[in-house]
Amino acid sequence: MRKNLKFEIIRGAASILLALAVAMIFIFIISDVPFEALYNLIIGPFTKLRYLWLILERMIPIVFTGLGVCVMFQANQFNLAGEGTLFFGGLVAAAVAIYLPMPPVLHIIVCIVIASVVAAAAMLIPALLKTKLGASEMVSSLMLNYILLQLGVYILNWHMADRTQGATMSHLFQDTARIPTLVPRTNLSWGIIIALAMTALVALFMYRTKWGYAIRMVGQNQSFAKYSGIKVAGTIVLCQVIGGLLSGMGGAVEVLGYYDRFKWRQLPGYGWDGVTIAILAKNNPVFIPFAAFFMSYLKQGCNLMQTYTDVPAEMLSIIQAVIFLFFAAEQFLSKYRQKLVVKGAKEELAEKKAEGGQKGAEA
Amino acid sequence: MADTNIAVLMKGITKVYPNGIAANQSVDFSVNRGEIHALMGENGAGKSTLMKMLFGLEQPTEGEIIINGEPVSLTSPTVAISKGIGMVHQHFMLVPSLTVAENIVLGMEPTKGAFIDYAEAVRITKEFSEKYNLHVEPDAKVMDIPVGMKQKVEILKALVRGAKILILDEPTAVLTSQETAELFKELIHFKEQGHTIIFISHKLKEIKQITDRMTIMRGGKSMGVFNTADVSEQDISRLMVGRDVVLKVEKEKAEPTDTVLKVEDVHYENEYGKKMLNGVSFTVRKGEILGIAGVEGNGQRELVSMLFDMVPPDSGTITVEGQTVTGKGQSFIRELGVSHIPEDRMTYGAAGTASIEENLISDRFEKPAFNKGLLFDMDAIHKTSDQLIQDYLILCRSGKQQVKMLSGGNIQKVVVAREFSCDPKLIIADQPTRGIDVGATEFIRKKLVELSRNGAAVLLVSADLNEVMELSDSLMVFCGGEIVAYFEDTSTLSDEEMGEYMLGLKRQSPEEIRRVFHA
Repeated sequence: MRKNLKFEIIRGAASILLALAVAMIFIFIISDVPFEALYNLIIGPFTKLRYLWLILERMIPIVFTGLGVCVMFQANQFNLAGEGTLFFGGLVAAAVAIYLPMPPVLHIIVCIVIASVVAAAAMLIPALLKTKLGASEMVSSLMLNYILLQLGVYILNWHMADRTQGATMSHLFQDTARIPTLVPRTNLSWGIIIALAMTALVALFMYRTKWGYAIRMVGQNQSFAKYSGIKVAGTIVLCQVIGGLLSGMGGAVEVLGYYDRFKWRQLPGYGWDGVTIAILAKNNPVFIPFAAFFMSYLKQGCNLMQTYTDVPAEMLSIIQAVIFLFFAAEQFLSKYRQKLVVKGAKEELAEKKAEGGQKGAEA
Repeated sequence: MADTNIAVLMKGITKVYPNGIAANQSVDFSVNRGEIHALMGENGAGKSTLMKMLFGLEQPTEGEIIINGEPVSLTSPTVAISKGIGMVHQHFMLVPSLTVAENIVLGMEPTKGAFIDYAEAVRITKEFSEKYNLHVEPDAKVMDIPVGMKQKVEILKALVRGAKILILDEPTAVLTSQETAELFKELIHFKEQGHTIIFISHKLKEIKQITDRMTIMRGGKSMGVFNTADVSEQDISRLMVGRDVVLKVEKEKAEPTDTVLKVEDVHYENEYGKKMLNGVSFTVRKGEILGIAGVEGNGQRELVSMLFDMVPPDSGTITVEGQTVTGKGQSFIRELGVSHIPEDRMTYGAAGTASIEENLISDRFEKPAFNKGLLFDMDAIHKTSDQLIQDYLILCRSGKQQVKMLSGGNIQKVVVAREFSCDPKLIIADQPTRGIDVGATEFIRKKLVELSRNGAAVLLVSADLNEVMELSDSLMVFCGGEIVAYFEDTSTLSDEEMGEYMLGLKRQSPEEIRRVFHA
């Protein structure tokens, strides 16, 4: 198994290098200062401590959506409503933060809990449609995103908007509801700690509880799960509810940690990033923070490249696309894997022979 | 070098699969033109792998293949077919909803303008059918014809494509003894016409009967080539497994007591409207093994899936210890004390990508013994899993190993370990030893007898006639979705008699059959 992990790491690194090589080709084609652009892209994010805080700050919401996707994908439920539930969770948290006065700390907790519960309830829609009517969760969850967005925008416009502001945004959050910053003079909030704690909790849930076990078995072989007596329909609902819970929580933490008012009028995109990093992490929650850090680093690099040179930040899309192409391609480097495997098998045979020889000598 | 009498020569073949299993290790294999050559060995010995490489389904890691004196690179079955090689798989590769003639010309259809010339397809089918004396009905749909004819269709498919070298992968596994005799006549006929036949099997009797020479494989290596006439069945058995295998299972006489499983007047029609079960009634009692014999596809599969509530019957009742099981779900049925060795271990019996440990606890992970508060009690789980691995002799590096990395026999032991260790009152064993090696087979059979003698009720379904006859205390025969015979005592039965019941040539009176229902 260790051999397998080693191979996966090599494969991942090779995909990333190839993606950067492709990016380099494009940079050389479009840029007048290609070396400067590359420097900003790759080295840039590590040149100032401030950039590091930025990377960590941008990682927060995608850790949550990534964890949610992990839980759902491990059960083979391709639910893509992380985006909509994160948005709606943010809105609900904002409403509680504005209209429900409470003592500090408790206020934050209540905001997060209510947002998570509402988002989890929203996920019941695709989950129950799947188990009761057999509707594809992929289609219904995609549509759910736009329903949640439009519903949220309606609520913001008609019930929460602060008319004294030039643009559409909510009233100010009460101070008791805002998640304090972790590093002074940055926007990096305690949200990062919550995100890491949730990573540990989700990993524990997936690998050390009966519910996580049921989710994984349903994903690995649904017929086997049913035959074993695992309640398949219940498990399919459960994993999506937990997925919604996590992305709703992500929305709340992002809104309360980064903003002072609710300002989203479009889907912020963290749900899609969650899918991306879950694929990078092979649906293993333990790897989510690393994948999120990497994504966030790439974004920061692209932003710097756009700011200081003539290459647009959209280069990120190309790099991402190439990485995923190679990550998703099962056959990529399979010849190399075969070589590793052949070598391993030969070594094992030789070992057995040696052992057999020794036994023979003893006898 | 270029010995023109050698049809197939495989030299120094080594094959390592992506999962690290070295299925073949420098195997030499040669077959003369116009002979029937047996390829023998236990399951997992590497026979199928070797033949897959000859048919272009797999590529050797090392070694070369020479056909009729010409070195070839068989990169796909298409290439192999063009070299005159044909293969009849153990599991038929036919399209059930197409006719026999359509299946035979599939991929090389004769055309008239833009359309398929169906009349020509029928003509081709008839021509080859007569030439090789293989009787088939060109217009019948494949799903409606019996297994024996399906096999003939497969053989014709290969012959129509110009096969001179025929590989038959365990061709008799699904046939009755009458059908087997017929097949052997046909094979001898091919041989007389100059065809070369490679016959994969592990049934010693058949090999002795029909082949000229044999290659015996063990553990991925060739143990040598022998003239069939020169070696005894005992010799072959010793070469195959490295020891004399006694497949007789010692068992005391059954003393059945209370009824555990009661099946009453069950009917079922499948999705094509074919009647699969027609008024089936029987009981299984504590302490007995009731066997179901029959050619596959005569309702056994449907019956078993009903017993475990995977499909509901159209009518009739199924009760376990007085409780109806239909519509109750698998966890309820397991709670009643029913365990089930499914026919298809990789679909139902195990999750290949999960670890051995995870597979071993799938029916009991919610029990308090394995949970401490909200979390799993990992110590308890490791302990149980390690104990089962030890008790059931599962060969593995550790309980953390993925199940799909194990050999077939060891995967089956994982399934059996779980199903036998939950203190079952009723065991539904569906093909419990299919496709696994002799050692594991013996082990599983002994365990099954032991459990029944300790008071479990066992329903045994098997396509292996020897197995049902050897293990069962009493036996019923399925044909066309009905019970056609019931034998209270299996010790006096002959293969021929069983064959006649299985093929529907004979059936007992309703009174005799009703004896299997102990109300």
